[in-house]
Amino acid sequence: MSCNTSVTRVQVSSVGQAQRATVHLMPCEIQHDGPAQVSQYMTATTKDHKHEKTVSFRGRGLKGQELSCPQGYTGLVLKEIDKPGSDQEDRTVRLSSVFDKLTYWNLETPPNSDDTVVMAMDWPELADAVSLFLLYFYSCL
Amino acid sequence: MDLSPFETDNSVSCRLSSQIPDVCRTEDCCLGIDEAGRGPVLGPMVYGICFCPISKKEELKNSKVADSKTLTETERENLFEKLDEAKSYVGWALQILSPNTISTSMLQRTKYNLNALSHDTAIGLVKYALDSGVQLKEVFVDTVGPADKYEDKLSKLFPGIEVTVRPKADSLFPIVSAASICAKVARDRVVKAWNFTEDLGEVDTDYGSGYPNDPKTKAWLLKYLDPVFGYPQFVRFSWSTAQTLMESKGVAVHWDDDEEDGEKAAQRRNNKSMLSYFSASAGVNDRMQTHQTHRFFTDRRLKSLDTL
Repeated sequence: MSCNTSVTRVQVSSVGQAQRATVHLMPCEIQHDGPAQVSQYMTATTKDHKHEKTVSFRGRGLKGQELSCPQGYTGLVLKEIDKPGSDQEDRTVRLSSVFDKLTYWNLETPPNSDDTVVMAMDWPELADAVSLFLLYFYSCL
Repeated sequence: MDLSPFETDNSVSCRLSSQIPDVCRTEDCCLGIDEAGRGPVLGPMVYGICFCPISKKEELKNSKVADSKTLTETERENLFEKLDEAKSYVGWALQILSPNTISTSMLQRTKYNLNALSHDTAIGLVKYALDSGVQLKEVFVDTVGPADKYEDKLSKLFPGIEVTVRPKADSLFPIVSAASICAKVARDRVVKAWNFTEDLGEVDTDYGSGYPNDPKTKAWLLKYLDPVFGYPQFVRFSWSTAQTLMESKGVAVHWDDDEEDGEKAAQRRNNKSMLSYFSASAGVNDRMQTHQTHRFFTDRRLKSLDTL
């Protein structure tokens, strides 16, 4: 087993000034890293009825909804500007934009509270409770 | 023919209809069914029904409605005018299946093929006529699939109605020709004035007939291919022409219900994508080496990361 000693730096100092991004979590893997005409194709054709949004992507029907980041949290979009040639070199990842909500999409299934990404948002609150509990636990020792 | 209900939302299926002539509610009627635009990779498929009293069959024949495919666009428009003039005894209804409806149905998780979609649409239109009080006694249907099975299916669904399913029925029965004209006129008009919901600016409307082998259609499909999104909703994504072009000129998109061979899929999953951080299958090995992750985390596809 090789020992990886490289460091990854995450530069997030500019969170305050960063641009807000519209974020979509798609139910498919798109083998593409780069710009896409999201507003022309996706936003322009998205339909909103009450709490359910519908759109088609590549001819398939998607249903989705907006999801807020947990309170006190900010979503970050990070970009690696210069990818290092080997895993021995240090890496720098920069903040490219921020978001406080995202739209997640299911393939044909209406969005509901059992969706993985909705449930995942439970964790920060639970994590807070767990650390409070541990604090209490340690102070009692 | 007022197409505005479809034009306000051309991503869904839409029914348009004429007034029901009073005489059709009191006299025994015949009804013809035909479709327009089954083959093209562009635009909607339109199903049409036309009905009139059996006693008026001769009059309809004399108005020289013929198979719409043998007519020019102008001739069809003129014949539609004639049908409209005969509205005291001829009624019609259309179901416009938008290209988006066709794509999402055919590419659904549980596939809904074009034949099933066609049959259901035709059945829906006959039911509409019956529900509107039309005294149906005879139904004539044009078909591309096996006629016998379809005829049995329709006869069982509509007892008391004599159903005739024939290939090329539009050239045999004037009432089917009339239905064919209504459907074709609607499709022509919709395709000509297609309102692109996508924000594409001025779109070149020189897309030809929409048939995959038309050089103009081919050129248009090449011009309007977006590497990520593929096409605007005007295109039927389920057509092999569109799929082949997206595969060769667009970026690859993989869905969890894709049918691909296991090795390829496994290889692909080793290339970490954004989604792999949410995928349950990733991290099985790490888990074995370290500790058992609680179900709370696996259910939510949460994983602790030590590298980016």
